[in-house]
Amino acid sequence: MDQGNIVICRCEEVTLKELIAAAETYRCSARELKLRTRAGMGCCGGRTCRRFIDMVARQATGEAPSHGIPLGYQPPVRPVAFGQLGGVIG
Amino acid sequence: MTDVLIVGAGPAGLSAAATCARHGLSVRVVDEFMKPGGRLLGQLHEEPDGTWWNGIEEARRLYEQAVGLGASVACGVSVYDAARGEEGWVVSTTEGILEAPVLLLATGAAETALPLPGWTIPGVMSIGAAQVMTNVHRVRVGERGVIIGVNILAVAIARELQLAGIHVDRMVLPPRNPVTQEAASPYHVMQSLLRVAHLAPSAFIRYGSRLVKSDPLLRLAVRCYPAGGVKMWRMPIHLRTAAVEILGTSKVEGVRLARVSPDGEPLPGTEHDIPADFVCIAGGLHPLAELAAVAGCPFAYLPELGGHVPLHNERMETPLAGLYVAGNITGIESAKVAMAQGAVAGLAIAEHLGRLRDRTALADAIAHVKRVRRSATIQFHPEIGRGRADVERMFQEQGISGK
Ligand SMILES: Cc1cc2nc3c(=O)[nH]c(=O)nc-3n(C[C@H](O)[C@H](O)[C@H](O)COP(=O)(O)OP(=O)(O)OC[C@H]3O[C@@H](n4cnc5c(N)ncnc54)[C@H](O)[C@@H]3O)c2cc1C
Repeated sequence: MDQGNIVICRCEEVTLKELIAAAETYRCSARELKLRTRAGMGCCGGRTCRRFIDMVARQATGEAPSHGIPLGYQPPVRPVAFGQLGGVIG
Repeated sequence: MTDVLIVGAGPAGLSAAATCARHGLSVRVVDEFMKPGGRLLGQLHEEPDGTWWNGIEEARRLYEQAVGLGASVACGVSVYDAARGEEGWVVSTTEGILEAPVLLLATGAAETALPLPGWTIPGVMSIGAAQVMTNVHRVRVGERGVIIGVNILAVAIARELQLAGIHVDRMVLPPRNPVTQEAASPYHVMQSLLRVAHLAPSAFIRYGSRLVKSDPLLRLAVRCYPAGGVKMWRMPIHLRTAAVEILGTSKVEGVRLARVSPDGEPLPGTEHDIPADFVCIAGGLHPLAELAAVAGCPFAYLPELGGHVPLHNERMETPLAGLYVAGNITGIESAKVAMAQGAVAGLAIAEHLGRLRDRTALADAIAHVKRVRRSATIQFHPEIGRGRADVERMFQEQGISGK
């Protein structure tokens, strides 16, 4: 089987081929790649695929990893139910 | 009122909790797993001196010590946000909001995946999941497994599966693709395995490893690597065979293998299928630092430490006032190092909150971390010492803000 058909982001069902095509067309940052393909934007928050999105973006732009985190984290960093938002434990 | 809130009840979090409690601080530990102990719970290995490292026993000891000294430990609670408030840290959990002047993040490490065709089929799991199912839940993951990815963690866990009576058929490389990179290169994998060859159960491997310290010999060894693999505990480890696809429709049925060149390129006409009912993917570990990121902590990228780590000094302080880190979140190392770092964090916190009378204790604990590091049997990166020195230097250059 062609390696391009590998699903990289399971939540949003984005394949390696789709990521590479977008990265090569736009030569963009990992963040832009995420916004263009929705990879990493599913309910898990990109826990598994974020580093692959970053790798594909870096291979297209030729950029070396920097000290900053390539794809920022936003709360909640875990999936939470609406009912759990708010409230104080005594 | 809570003085110190600790996220993570692994060896780092629990030993920090005990240290803080011993200095009269009120400590609250939360962990999302259902049992305390973190990754210790999966660990069982024989040390080179013949003694056994039993992680479940270590976890129980650390937990009882922390609770005995008055720390509270809550399991099954996930933390999903951390922010600096007026008085201290405001931490959002699935059980509500917690506040404390000091927050210690001891969230450990996460596994790195190796994507390949078929990796989303049920029956494919990370090597750490197989470890937890076997050693924590006591569930048999399957009858006949293949491990994809060759590294120290995979070798250690394969041995644990064997000890539990589970047949691990062989260990092979992942296919070469844009997201597997060095993990699919026989040369790189051979190089990293040689660093841990002193742990091998076979005198043949230990001896062989000494022969190939030079680069030309290493390349030769990769070229001549036996087609049938090299056996460790009767399990063949392959460096010139890769899994190109995991087979099956509703569950894993087998793995398609191919011979690969010394660069990891599949050799045409060498594909063949083998049966398997489970597959473990072993891509290594990286620090789990998402809470430090949402808290606004600056980071350092240091491959020797496993990737991006929150900036910190040897007292386990971050540049943010009242925010501390300890354990694998600061770099991938063994459980014993995590424990020693937890003690340092506990003492540094006690000092920060004016409870440390014996100042030499902190310096001693910092020296102890370095001793434990030097004598560690499991080393995830040979240049760990350099990574530690780099992060310390970067911290000193950037200084502590907001203090
Ligand atoms: C799969 C795997 C296998 C390993 N095997 C070995 C081995 O055989 N030998 C060895 O020496 N080392 C091994 N390690 C390395 C291991 O990380 C260290 O041994 C040690 O456990 C690190 O201790 P720690 O306290 O830093 O983190 P951990 O032991 O990982 O504990 C961290 C705890 O934090 C909790 N946590 C994380 N995020 C949150 C959150 N947002 N909210 C609430 N709780 C949270 C987790 O549930 C976990 O219990 C392994 C690591 C992994 C991932």
